[in-house]
Amino acid sequence: MTKKYLFLFPALLFLLVPLVNAQVVVSKEGSPKCVLDVSGLQSSGGKSELEFLQTLEDDLKRSGWFNVTKQGKGSYTVQGTCRQGGGALNVRCQVNNVMSGTITMNKAYDGRQAGRLAHNVADDIVWAIKKVKGMASTRIVLVGNRGGKKNIYVCDANGANMFQITHDNVICRFPEWSPDLSKLIYTAYITGYPDVYQINMGSNERKRVSAYPGLNAGASFSPDGSRIALVLSKDGNPDLFVMNSSGGNLVKITRTPYAAESSPSWAPDGDQIVFVSDKGGSPQLYVTGSGGGEAKRITWKGNENVAPDWGPDGRIVYTSRREGKYHICIFDPKNGKTTQLTTDWADYEDPSWAPDSRHVVCSKTVSYHSDLYILDTLGDPSLRLTTIQGEWYSPDWSSK
Amino acid sequence: MKRNTYLRTVVVVGCVCGLLISSGCRKRTPPPANVNPTEIGTGGSILSERPDAEGDRIIGAEVAFVQNVLFGYDSFQITDSEVSKIKAVSDYMKSSGGVRLICEGNCDERGTAEYNMSLGENRALAVRAYLIGLGIDGARIQTKSFGEEKPVELGHDEASWAKNRRVEFALYRK
Repeated sequence: MTKKYLFLFPALLFLLVPLVNAQVVVSKEGSPKCVLDVSGLQSSGGKSELEFLQTLEDDLKRSGWFNVTKQGKGSYTVQGTCRQGGGALNVRCQVNNVMSGTITMNKAYDGRQAGRLAHNVADDIVWAIKKVKGMASTRIVLVGNRGGKKNIYVCDANGANMFQITHDNVICRFPEWSPDLSKLIYTAYITGYPDVYQINMGSNERKRVSAYPGLNAGASFSPDGSRIALVLSKDGNPDLFVMNSSGGNLVKITRTPYAAESSPSWAPDGDQIVFVSDKGGSPQLYVTGSGGGEAKRITWKGNENVAPDWGPDGRIVYTSRREGKYHICIFDPKNGKTTQLTTDWADYEDPSWAPDSRHVVCSKTVSYHSDLYILDTLGDPSLRLTTIQGEWYSPDWSSK
Repeated sequence: MKRNTYLRTVVVVGCVCGLLISSGCRKRTPPPANVNPTEIGTGGSILSERPDAEGDRIIGAEVAFVQNVLFGYDSFQITDSEVSKIKAVSDYMKSSGGVRLICEGNCDERGTAEYNMSLGENRALAVRAYLIGLGIDGARIQTKSFGEEKPVELGHDEASWAKNRRVEFALYRK
């Protein structure tokens, strides 16, 4: 009798193996780098000159592509001058390919802000050598909770220049950049209700773009900036909608009377939207057309897959609950593969791609304290972005 | 013959797995039988002006009977234990014609903020649908979600979480 059922055991194992393996690749190796020597950059030691040089060196390291040295040898060298004069900083910068003996880049700059100037030079050097977009001159919008006061902030990609945008001290969440960075869009309880607001970064003007009864949340600009995807519950249930960026021409995308949708994010071509729905019994990622149509489920492992961000190279980064912890995962629609980026004993949430398609900013929560970190998909150690006292979350990386 | 047995095993094991998976799913709340789900809505703005006319909020002894409706983890199912709390509010609204209600949905700190915003709204909507099923005019009931942003208990344990997974009744007289 017992013997009769013994054969069940290997059959069970055989069935469980594909579940356990489920196409997860954990990347651990550090990223390959080329040696970049910056000892040829000269300055006369002025304060903003030194700030420029230090920021440039930090940016080049943070880009993840270089081993930065001052030993006088590398596969690439940076030479040039940095001079303070008349309230501005004048920079000349030449990048040489040592192997071929050619000049890779030769450019002059001037500007008043040493930090910002260094970010621009760093991104130009990354582009000249690696032919990829840099991230140094980009910015990150986030929510800060300082002493119970929740507001929207913006900082540089290295965490510097933290600037407070709102002063309402009310619940606010999910800020996002417009593609041209001229606007921010976010959810706030300014009137006591969750409404969606748009801030014009030039004029500092704010307007309410969605204030339907019930929930107005999770707004996200289409890649051309002309439309907004968001979640509204005005019809009796949180569903996904698309409207014009000015607020008109509302189109209902999902119709799930018993389920909740959240967190829309646009594909780079604007034709599709990835979002969260719990219509299958647990929150999972789905993809649908930005004009509507059938929604296709794309996550199957784990009972909670949320907060997707569709990156510029087509990969989707999201939060996945695994073994009781929230981790950052990447789904590549091209091959259907999922990669788990974080493995340690912390909770990582709300990821957003950098325009370099390599780095991801997200919140990291340890012992109920939340800071923002930058993760590297190629395996370099993560970097802490927020260092000011407070709780920091809901980041969105600018697209340029 | 051997092959047949293997096939049967696959079917049996498959069924067991299916049962295990489905039992792990979150329960969904159907609205009361006499309410058409497509007609539930969020109720529009029941207060003439935003922000909340706090002066119109009914407080004190008159509404001392009001208790928060509590929910299970990641659920907006109204459990049997909570029904009497909703009925008490329904009875009160039936006897006080001018009273309006905002159902305020809340979540515990677990799960991501954006998903919890929608979950809180669904909790509020489930209570709203239940009240409509009990005969309250939907035009008197509005919903509002605070997601995980407004906990009543700040502890990081199940006792605190259980109290935070709630719908609060905010009653107004206008």
